[in-house]
Amino acid sequence: MNTATCRVGLVFFPAFDWAISPDHPEREERLLYTRDQIAEEGLLDISGIEEYRPLIAADADIERAHVCVPTVKSVATQSHRIAAGGTMLAADLVLQGRADRSFALLRPPGHHAMRIVHGSRGFCNINNEAIMVEHIRSAYGADKRIAIVDTDAHHADGTQDIFYNDPGVLHISLHQDGRTLYPGTGSIDERGGPAAYGLTVNIPLPPGAGDPGMLYVMEHLVMPILHDWQPDLIVNAAGQDNHYTDPLTNMNFTAQGYARLTQMLAPDVVVLEGGYSIEGALPYVNLGILLALAGLDYSAVREPDWRPDSATQPQAVTDAIARTVTALQGLWATRREADLEAIFGAGQFFQRRRDIYYDTDNIMERQSEQIRLCNTCSGWRSIRSEALHAFSGRAVRIGAVIIPRRACRQCRLDAQGEFEQLSALWRAGRLNLTCLQDIEADS
Amino acid sequence: MTSLPVLGIDVGGTNTDAALIIDGQVVGTAKVRTDPGSLIHSTAAAFAEALRAAGHVSSPLELHLSTTLSTNAIVEGRGDPTLALAVPGPGMRIEDLGLGFSAWQAGGAIDHRGRETAPLDVESVRDALSSAADSGIVALAVVGKFSHRNPAHELQIEQAALEGYPQFASITLGHRMSGRANFPRRLATAYLNARIQRRQSEFVKMLEQLMLSEHRVAQAFLLKADGGTMRLSESMHRPIESILSGPAASTMGALALASDPGVNAAVIDIGGTTTDISVLVSGDPVFDRHGAVIAGHATLVPALFARSIGLGGDSEVRCDQSGVHIGPRSAGTPSALGGNAVTPTDAAAALGLAQIGSRTRAIRALSDFAGPIGLSPMAAAERIVSAFAAQLAAEVEAVYTSLESAPVYTVSEMLTSPNIRPVRLIGLGAPAPVFVPRAAALMGLPFELLPFHAAANAIGAAASRPTTSITLHADTALGILTIPEAGYRAQLPSRPDFGLRQARAEALTWAERAARSLGADADAAHDVSIVEEESFNVVRGFHTVGRIFSIKAQVRPKARRVDEA
Repeated sequence: MNTATCRVGLVFFPAFDWAISPDHPEREERLLYTRDQIAEEGLLDISGIEEYRPLIAADADIERAHVCVPTVKSVATQSHRIAAGGTMLAADLVLQGRADRSFALLRPPGHHAMRIVHGSRGFCNINNEAIMVEHIRSAYGADKRIAIVDTDAHHADGTQDIFYNDPGVLHISLHQDGRTLYPGTGSIDERGGPAAYGLTVNIPLPPGAGDPGMLYVMEHLVMPILHDWQPDLIVNAAGQDNHYTDPLTNMNFTAQGYARLTQMLAPDVVVLEGGYSIEGALPYVNLGILLALAGLDYSAVREPDWRPDSATQPQAVTDAIARTVTALQGLWATRREADLEAIFGAGQFFQRRRDIYYDTDNIMERQSEQIRLCNTCSGWRSIRSEALHAFSGRAVRIGAVIIPRRACRQCRLDAQGEFEQLSALWRAGRLNLTCLQDIEADS
Repeated sequence: MTSLPVLGIDVGGTNTDAALIIDGQVVGTAKVRTDPGSLIHSTAAAFAEALRAAGHVSSPLELHLSTTLSTNAIVEGRGDPTLALAVPGPGMRIEDLGLGFSAWQAGGAIDHRGRETAPLDVESVRDALSSAADSGIVALAVVGKFSHRNPAHELQIEQAALEGYPQFASITLGHRMSGRANFPRRLATAYLNARIQRRQSEFVKMLEQLMLSEHRVAQAFLLKADGGTMRLSESMHRPIESILSGPAASTMGALALASDPGVNAAVIDIGGTTTDISVLVSGDPVFDRHGAVIAGHATLVPALFARSIGLGGDSEVRCDQSGVHIGPRSAGTPSALGGNAVTPTDAAAALGLAQIGSRTRAIRALSDFAGPIGLSPMAAAERIVSAFAAQLAAEVEAVYTSLESAPVYTVSEMLTSPNIRPVRLIGLGAPAPVFVPRAAALMGLPFELLPFHAAANAIGAAASRPTTSITLHADTALGILTIPEAGYRAQLPSRPDFGLRQARAEALTWAERAARSLGADADAAHDVSIVEEESFNVVRGFHTVGRIFSIKAQVRPKARRVDEA
């Protein structure tokens, strides 16, 4: 039997009995052909590739990353808990030395789930990577520096939202340009909050980008940034919908491209995100990723309909990608010189208002957020959110106060004060729910 | 229905045991030394000896034979020169599979749903067959990736071989060996099967001669790795299934002899060098999830689960700061039996727990061992026996932990796991009476020691019945139904709708048919059950275009009750 050069822990959970709805892309059948391919290739007989049964995430695990409205139970099914728990286990395997790398090959996905969760958006309810990151910092040290490289074709707006102001997390998202695809965000000028400015790196790629463009971005931008930032752990949120056969996107990556990306990135933990070409792409992309993770030869992994021109990209696309990379190289190099006062204002708080649409559950959320601009910590936050559930006509108003990790004494006190004010509003019936999220205390 | 007397014979590495069972009673046992040069001779000797021990038996009888013939051939690397002809398609490189033998690769590809995505390179197949035939190769194994979903390429190659190359005396096609996924295992299974097929046929012919001369044997069966039997003639086509039948016979022996065989139990077979742990759930032996592994070859041969650990009566005993450790290596012959080693057997003999060899010699060896660590010989013996029991209990616990953490793919299985925990330990093997009660006490469980342990494997062989399993794959979107083991592939009619109910019925019918062809009587053949089932909607473009059903139906191994006469 063959031996992997890198020990890989595979947490495979295809949730063969769960779907958003019978005909939905996120349905029982999604990982069926991937399972068939893995089984037929005999991948699990390779010494060094070990399969594990996932864990089930508890309320406390989920509430470190999210404010669930009104409760965890109301927004996360058992299958969401298993996907999140499986992702946590993938991190445990690596951090406990039981594997060199791990792959949480599971569904449902999570990267569109933001900190406040009123329901499902972009097929996501709770954010698997974010729950894993908070688990890692609670169980293995709050000072762990974690880089997330999201290679799904859709902008990882949920993960970005959760770590927007978190100096311990570098979030890099490669995606099809938001002007041409859900969720529409992810432009290069979304660069992080006042305490983590520059640590949100968005790399929008024009439709039609193929392996050459993606590998160019990896080589000239992502890898140098990672080398520069020196994370303790690299997580790859591996959406597979950049594939040339994906029905929901317009990109041109191949299984070979994904495998090469994996080899180059050498991630510690890979987590499946989207990807809905369930027959033409997923079996081959997942095989390529697994072989690359294990340090095995993936040169014979090919889609049945692959042609030499499957991954080509027009010259205009190549040029556009080169320009984006040059711009982002400059932004990364000068991120510490940015004039934060000009960006976030000179007052005590930075404030922003957003409208967030939950396409899967048809919910319209209006959110206003203020972040304390603090010189000693990343600053407490207060979020007011009003969600209109279009199906039921129900409106839900909440207020949440978030005390970040390593908050200073003053921010803790101020956050408590804010929470008391919100509680008064709740008692007066003007809010349906209030929540104080003290991430460190919840650990 | 009165059944024929059954003679079970287990040809082991050292001894050949036989047990004759009439109406559920053991009426005679025999033990002869195995002649490694002639397993037939050993079989005949045990046969005669058992009948003599039983006295006068006039009626015809049924022979159930567990032999090491195929196991030995594979372990010792013997067999016919064999061409492994593979149609790997895209995916892992065949050179990276670590097969332990080389395979000729022909172009062509089938995908996960059994669709041809590249035609077979017939030219390359002819080249392979010609050059193999020219170099004196007489056995052929043909395996394609996803051939269990569509065997077309394998059948094309078989046709080419049958038409143009009479040199190939034996041809094995992968899809007939197993309907389960795993191309490298299917390749190894078919390769080993082809390699040992001629040898098996010769053995079967010799055995048939022996039976003719004895005039007594009405039917003969070979024991398989899954604890079931197959008709002797069938074993010429699928000799690979008779590997590792010894451990399976031991588990079946435990089932046949246990006082309450319907419960959850761990079966612990302690030998000289190893202990085998197998698992019963509600009286059914648990299967290995993937298939038998033999001599480094991972196969798809259905096999009972057994964890073999280096812990036995003759194991090495070591002592360090953390205490006494047993195994995993064998120390050789115990001092009590004239050797020089200090072993668990010596500890048992010294303490008077077992009457084996010379107690004096055992005590003398123990005092040499115990002196340097400041213990009396008896205290050292106590520690050795305790350490053995503690290690055994830990290993049994580890077996259950690992079975319970086996991956599952549905939310419902995550939330409700079946209870497989043992309610008792069943011990067999000569050292079992010393160690199993102590391990059971550590685990807080009752135990049972089986009688007749010397011939338990032969009794297990005699008590077994034919088993079989088939895999049905129906894809209504493509309109195809496949049962690879039966070589069956058919178009599904578009009307009436083919649903889960029809798929189940079809699977049960085919399993029953397969069981009958292996020699099952009507009762056994009716005892088919569905052991795995999957069903998926196939949705394309937001519309359900069909369904995929995958069903495994099986006649499970079952042991007839056997009592002490």
